[in-house]
Amino acid sequence: MGTMNSPVQALIAAIGQVLLGKEHQVKLALACLLARGHLLLEDLPGTGKTSLAEALSRGFGLDFRRVSFTSDLLPADLTGLNVFDSQRSRFDFHPGPLFSQVLLADEINRASPRTQSALLEAMANGRVSVDGISHPLPEPFLVIATQNGLDQGGTAPLPESQLDRFLMRLHLGFPTREAERDLLQGQALQAAQLASELTAAHLQALQQQVQTIHTSPALLDYVLDLLARSRDSGRPGLPLSPRAGLALLAAARAWSLIAGRDHVLPEDVQAVLTPVCEHRLDGGQIRGEATLSSRLLGAAGGLR
Amino acid sequence: MPPLKAVPLKVAGGGWLPWLAVGLLTAAAWGVAPFSLLGGLSLSLLVLTALKLREAKQRREHRLVCLLQLVTAGLLGAQRGDLGSSLLQGLAVVVALAGLLQLELGGVSNLASLLRRSGQLVLAALPMALALFLLFPRLGPFANLGGLGKFGAAATTGLSTTLEPGTIASLTQDRSPAARVAFPGGGPPPASQRLWRVLVHGQFDGQSWRSLNAASTETGNAGAGNAGPIAIGERDPEAIFGGSDADPNLGGRQPPGAKQVWLSEANGFAEVPWSGEGLPLDRHLKRDGQGQLRHDGAVGVRKLYSLAAEPATPAWRRQAPTAQDLQMTAGTNPRLEILAAGWRHQAPGGVNAADAAAGSRNAGGAKAVALAEAWFRQQGFRYSLNNPLLPKTAPLDALLFERRQGFCGHYASALSALMRAAGVPARVVSGYRGGTWVVPLGGSAFLDLRQSDAHAWSEVWIEGEGWRTVDPTLWVLGGATLGDPSSPAVRTAAAAANQAGPLDWIARQWWGLDLAWGEWWLGFDQRSQELLLQRLLGPYRDWAGALLVMAVALTLALGLAVYGWLRRRGEGDQLQQELNQLLRHCARNGLVPQPGESLSQFGGRLRQTRPLLGPELEDFVGLLQQLRYGRPGDCQRQVMARLRRCGQSLRRQLRRSRS
Repeated sequence: MGTMNSPVQALIAAIGQVLLGKEHQVKLALACLLARGHLLLEDLPGTGKTSLAEALSRGFGLDFRRVSFTSDLLPADLTGLNVFDSQRSRFDFHPGPLFSQVLLADEINRASPRTQSALLEAMANGRVSVDGISHPLPEPFLVIATQNGLDQGGTAPLPESQLDRFLMRLHLGFPTREAERDLLQGQALQAAQLASELTAAHLQALQQQVQTIHTSPALLDYVLDLLARSRDSGRPGLPLSPRAGLALLAAARAWSLIAGRDHVLPEDVQAVLTPVCEHRLDGGQIRGEATLSSRLLGAAGGLR
Repeated sequence: MPPLKAVPLKVAGGGWLPWLAVGLLTAAAWGVAPFSLLGGLSLSLLVLTALKLREAKQRREHRLVCLLQLVTAGLLGAQRGDLGSSLLQGLAVVVALAGLLQLELGGVSNLASLLRRSGQLVLAALPMALALFLLFPRLGPFANLGGLGKFGAAATTGLSTTLEPGTIASLTQDRSPAARVAFPGGGPPPASQRLWRVLVHGQFDGQSWRSLNAASTETGNAGAGNAGPIAIGERDPEAIFGGSDADPNLGGRQPPGAKQVWLSEANGFAEVPWSGEGLPLDRHLKRDGQGQLRHDGAVGVRKLYSLAAEPATPAWRRQAPTAQDLQMTAGTNPRLEILAAGWRHQAPGGVNAADAAAGSRNAGGAKAVALAEAWFRQQGFRYSLNNPLLPKTAPLDALLFERRQGFCGHYASALSALMRAAGVPARVVSGYRGGTWVVPLGGSAFLDLRQSDAHAWSEVWIEGEGWRTVDPTLWVLGGATLGDPSSPAVRTAAAAANQAGPLDWIARQWWGLDLAWGEWWLGFDQRSQELLLQRLLGPYRDWAGALLVMAVALTLALGLAVYGWLRRRGEGDQLQQELNQLLRHCARNGLVPQPGESLSQFGGRLRQTRPLLGPELEDFVGLLQQLRYGRPGDCQRQVMARLRRCGQSLRRQLRRSRS
């Protein structure tokens, strides 16, 4: 694969010591981060979602917070609120957990739609308004939301429009037998032990580098074909939005950067198609399988 | 994904094909008059091309070089229409195009495929070229490009306007062609009649014979038809030439079989042997009172003339001598003058120069010739091609009384000088004698005249008879004719021309083809074109018809071009074609890509089933991805060429594995 982007590779290897046997998912999560997207992790509890989020943020030396979304969580619990300072007789803004570089929103589908939308608005705009005063969020800002299976009780599923805000939806899945053996033997590192030389400035440089990755006309044709096929009538699933197209391209760019290329290949698009598009195609209804996106791949046809 | 290998950036072009094209063009340009307008242009273009090719580095420059080469070939084609040069020009075009293809395809080194492709290009252009050749109007200056040059009358090879004993010695070794004569419907003339007048040397200064200034003696234009019949030389009137003094433009009055086709080589001297009939080639031909045909301007290209016959006694034979024909500087060759003075007394009717100028009788002319013949035969002169130079003073005395050896030029000069000294008007004529009758396997028989057939003889004015041809060389040879192979001297003179070895046989076949080509190529002038159009268009023989045909042809060509372009677009780009070819071969081996499979996945699957394909397949996939999805770089063509080679080799292996 030519010259790998070595600091990125080192980071992937380091995170791989925390999350054993999950290299592919780690790379996808990293691609999501590099493409300035937000990540939706959907899996059972105890599969390493939190570890991944923490390892990613530590890898770039980012400020990391975790919020458990419960049904009684209010928007102000996230954003922070103005508190009256009686001594100085004025309101001071006390920033909430949203003001961190990496926010792990645990079990986002347990919170009320109002809270959800407050979070998603912050994700989209990069700023938070409290009592009419706008507060910018830190740079970079990544939300890693986890979601429990929809069959579990007491959940409010994310609407399609808000699913669309997440660049990727990932399933971590169970580890392989060998990886789990290593895990049981205690070979996995704690996320807190992760050592990395990278900083937020590195991350921003990489994010900028991602934007310069070349996409040839032939590749754009491929992406356009995929989008057009998703909009064919009679095809199961929702059509992909233009934002989905942008997301797909951004994620593919990040993926090819990780692979050490300066241009995007169709297989980069294919690699990120399922995490980027499956949740947009199924509207959050069908879980766990990549049937719709793989059907889309087959439909776009032609050897690329 | 296979690793991307670094593609070395080759210097664009740099092949030897453009140099080969330059070489071929140089060979094709051999003999082009360097000082004529077109000749100079094409030669300088050729030099320019070579210089540009030497310093060319970028692709753009190499394209320019190829373009220059094509233009040069076109210019040469307008000047040199003989078969050899035409073949060389065509070859040069093919090679130049191959060079361009090599450049455009990025250093492809497979010569056979390059030549095949460029040959296809040339073939594709051929119908259009043929249509243009047949139908494009012969507009004045363009149809007659060879006549444009007004410079370059300097005699380099062939006959010289100045005959100084010794100048023709080099000619006899020169076997380059002078002219070819075909006699449609007739056999060859007998050897004794094959005497072709070219130049008349009337001006004598005691050492050399000079040709008179053409302008002063010009009496008419052959094309106008009022200057009398066209002189063609010493021919038996009954045998070959019918008595036709018709306007040469009206060929219908000539008896069939009396027509000659004369193909004259471009050889740098201004005068061509005889007049032509075709339009517009003979516009530049002038005929003077001495029976010389003159072409105004250098003849830079070979020309084809159709000749009419001449009457028994052409006008120039009856043209009375002038003082010029007796002029002689007294005292330059004293012994010669003494000898001639003796003859003047023996010939009672001999006249002096003043009388001749006044047009008096000189019935003694015939007697003087008879005396001279007797004297020449007694002296035991030797015919020789290698002679030391004669002294500057009294050269003819030295020749006749001391050296006693020489060839035609020497003896003709001496005889004419003797006649003048005896008071008989005389002059030296140079031209060609003999020639080789060639019967090629294909095509019609013709008489081949080479520069080695050059000859000189005398013409003596005999009162009541006119100018009589007297050839003292025959006396020297002792009665044998020059065409007689039994004479040893002649054998050396005519050398190998009459002895047909296998090489000569091949050469003659070649000349035959060349003549046929010349008749076809050069003979297709405006008149032939009009005839063709008349036949094609029937009553609509105006140029409107030709324009209509051209418009239709152009429309068709344009339509074809657009159709081709559309088809090419429909076929997808080259990359896709290359990929499709490989996929077809894979499919024949039962290897079909799955839906949604990417190229590298398919490649990986292929590598598993056919491990032998491995490295090249990796290369192929990598190169294709680099071209299709990579950043456009400098070395795209090289990458494309490598991809092609990879694809070829893969297909070959797949074919082999199937069989």
